[in-house]
Amino acid sequence: MIRYLIKKIKAAVIYKNSKEKEQEINVDPFKLSSSMSENVSRLKKILGDSNDVVIRDFTCGPHRKMSVTLIYIDGLIDKRVINDDVMKPLMYESKFSIFEDSEHIFDAQEFKRILVSAGDVKETDSSEELLNGCMSGDAALIIDGFDKGLIISCRGWDMRGVEDPQTESVIRGPREGFNENLRTNTALIRRKIKDPALTFEVKEMGKRTKTNVCIAYIRGIANQDLIDTVKERMDKIDTDAILESGYIEQYIEDAPYSIFPTLGYSEKPDVISANLLEGRVAIIVDGTPFVLTAPLMFIETFQTAEDYYARPYYASAVRILRFISFGISVLAPAVYVALVAFHQELIPTPLLFTMAKATEGTPFPAAIEALIMLITFEILREAGVRLPRPIGQAISIVGALVMGQSAVSAGIVGTPMVIVVAITAVASFVVPEQSDAGAVLRFFLLLLASTMGGFGITMGLLIVLIHLSSLESFGTPYLSPLAPMRMPDLKDSVIRAPLRNMITRPLGLARQNPKRQKKFEPPSQKNS
Amino acid sequence: MGKKAKHFIKLVALLLSVLMVSGCWNSRELDELAVLMGVALDKSSQEGMIDITYQVALISGGGTSDSSGSASQVSGSETYWNITGTGTNIFTVLRDLTHKSSRKLYAPHTQVVIIGNDLAKDGIRDYLDLFLRYHEMRLTIYILVAKGRAGDIFNIKPKFSQITSLSISQLIQNQGASSETPQVRIMDFLERLLSGTTAPIAPIIEASDSEGSKVIEVAGTAVFKQDKLVGELDNTETRGLLWVLGEVKSGAITVDAPGGSAEIEILSAQSDVNVEINDDGSITAHIKITESGNIAGQKGSGDLSKPDAVEILVKNVQKNIANEVLLSVQKAKELGADTFGFGQMIYKKYPSQWESMKNNWDELFKNINVEVEVEASINGSGRIKKPAYPSEED
Repeated sequence: MIRYLIKKIKAAVIYKNSKEKEQEINVDPFKLSSSMSENVSRLKKILGDSNDVVIRDFTCGPHRKMSVTLIYIDGLIDKRVINDDVMKPLMYESKFSIFEDSEHIFDAQEFKRILVSAGDVKETDSSEELLNGCMSGDAALIIDGFDKGLIISCRGWDMRGVEDPQTESVIRGPREGFNENLRTNTALIRRKIKDPALTFEVKEMGKRTKTNVCIAYIRGIANQDLIDTVKERMDKIDTDAILESGYIEQYIEDAPYSIFPTLGYSEKPDVISANLLEGRVAIIVDGTPFVLTAPLMFIETFQTAEDYYARPYYASAVRILRFISFGISVLAPAVYVALVAFHQELIPTPLLFTMAKATEGTPFPAAIEALIMLITFEILREAGVRLPRPIGQAISIVGALVMGQSAVSAGIVGTPMVIVVAITAVASFVVPEQSDAGAVLRFFLLLLASTMGGFGITMGLLIVLIHLSSLESFGTPYLSPLAPMRMPDLKDSVIRAPLRNMITRPLGLARQNPKRQKKFEPPSQKNS
Repeated sequence: MGKKAKHFIKLVALLLSVLMVSGCWNSRELDELAVLMGVALDKSSQEGMIDITYQVALISGGGTSDSSGSASQVSGSETYWNITGTGTNIFTVLRDLTHKSSRKLYAPHTQVVIIGNDLAKDGIRDYLDLFLRYHEMRLTIYILVAKGRAGDIFNIKPKFSQITSLSISQLIQNQGASSETPQVRIMDFLERLLSGTTAPIAPIIEASDSEGSKVIEVAGTAVFKQDKLVGELDNTETRGLLWVLGEVKSGAITVDAPGGSAEIEILSAQSDVNVEINDDGSITAHIKITESGNIAGQKGSGDLSKPDAVEILVKNVQKNIANEVLLSVQKAKELGADTFGFGQMIYKKYPSQWESMKNNWDELFKNINVEVEVEASINGSGRIKKPAYPSEED
């Protein structure tokens, strides 16, 4: 007991100390004074002695009477801009004064107007702003004798180009994907939607990472309520780091303890654009290609961009197939176990013989068999994802041999079980957005099936259905338009109606401006 | 949050309470089961006892054994095991078999019940109780009556299937092609038995010799009065009965045709039976049969494509069908067994009069008037119109 108390006290002390330390490191922001050396030394104190910080002081102006200091972070700036547009004009061209009075001393305004030839220059007197600029790739110019500094935009760092998205490959449709740069990503969307109503609102989030997070929506289509809700929830986030859009997702989602996602994500500008045009809000986070969309509906996860690019018959058929696949991936092992261990009377007699023959002599009950195989599969999948590609192939060969061939021929697992697990595994990749939820459900239902048979499966599905219908995503019921039923929205649900018939946007989302197009008049066919 | 958790607990409790109302369930693995395929009931030499033969599928030995040499193979050729027991009741014997079988007998896949001739004559009502009562038994099991001892049928190795019971059930299902054997499931049998007046029927199965080996054959109908076997219908009489019951699916009729004879393939048949109590108290049953068929064969050189030839054919078909029906009626009257269920039809139509008639039904049935009306049609003549004779010069 006493030991426990001491531990507690120790922990409290450590916590307190850590708090004090934190305050020590934080140097209060200050207003720039007119003394450059004082400004620079205070800034230096804040910056510490990181070796990527470049502090360059030099003189300029006629007769080199002015001294200035340029601060920037190596690696974040475009060297060409610094050299050609900042250093060169300052050090060389400022010699030839344009003013009559050769003794004229430039002030910050004039630096900005005349000397620095970079595009985006701001002036400020706050040390915080200066440093933030530096940290995000701008250069700070501090001039002796003036209580204002200049932030010169010269961002330029190495980044990935616009490439094929890794997670959502398509046969037909644009092949560009977002990259890690926020500006590139907003530009990719802007290039699709050339509408001035398309709004990007940038917010800085994360006390330390100071990540730029952008909320995108189309004014006049997205509901104001929705925009407000998203902003409100994002304002509540008070954390030191936003490294990926997943961070934001976990802070603002409606049901953080549910296994189902209530925010969508995509790597493709066309998908995000389509979502924006339907009245959703997108959240773009600097540093990740994954853009969030809100709200998310359950059926949305079964839709792909290609559904709209292909003609409606095949698109609808494939969509139905995806629902079936999700069902298989969640239910197949559970149903198999229930049939084999509880309801043999439901198996047609010839099939019963085939299955009994295959499972004859296997040492484990069907439920354990299923569990072994499913866990093995999950291990293989996880290993395959993390490993470098060349080794990944070796893993899949070993997996296929161990799981399929050897397990059966050694008589440890029956052949039907291998088939069931294989089809489950393949089907689970058909709906990637629900594959996390699917995996959890699969084990949950398997557990129920192995203890209570078909009855357990029914109960499990009931629980899931109740849960699904209780979910909401940013005010939109998760199961809509199926429950609550919204007739007009069914045109784009399990099936996909021809585009010319999709006159309204989803009514659940774009309530204030539902009309997408006029009734399409097909080109008249004249009988010549 | 606390409220939510409470809700969740309530929900789980509610769902768990559903467990209480569910029926019998427990887990049993496929390889712990002995799948029961057929049951044969015979009169035992001991008084008041029956011999029961259960046919169980030996799964690991059956079928094509594939490359996986894993499963413990039971000696190559055995695909079934007939376990015999003697007792007073089917269920006791079923449970007695646990002394012999290391696996639990599993009944839902039972295909056939065969009843030995001697037992059928003594009455089988008490032994059918289990099929109605026991939850593992399905009501769709086919019931058959053996010419000799039922247990012997299970010893015949079938030609096509691996297991005798399975082969018998497939055989029965295939009888629609001739419509000379009734397909009787245990629920049909019990329905007739429980009606009180309608005579239960069952197909007859026998082991016939064919080129030195035993072959299973089903043909004809066993007719019960109440639960006792009283007689048999031959193939023609059976089809006569099936015409009336509307259960003729296909089959062949041979009729006289201009210049020889013709065979008609039955394509479809419907029946409409209407009973009537006349003013003088006598009963008339109007049977209307609608049949359509194709010419499937012809003997002789007559041109059957001509309208008048078709007309003659149709008339002959009608005569033939009516004849079959009347033969069957006559036989039923002889046996005093209402195989057609006229009694139940009267009960439905004249419930008040039936009360006074049902005790006297055996007598009334023997005096029933039957009127048969057949509407036949011939739809086609196959790929040829004229017979396979050289065309005559005109």
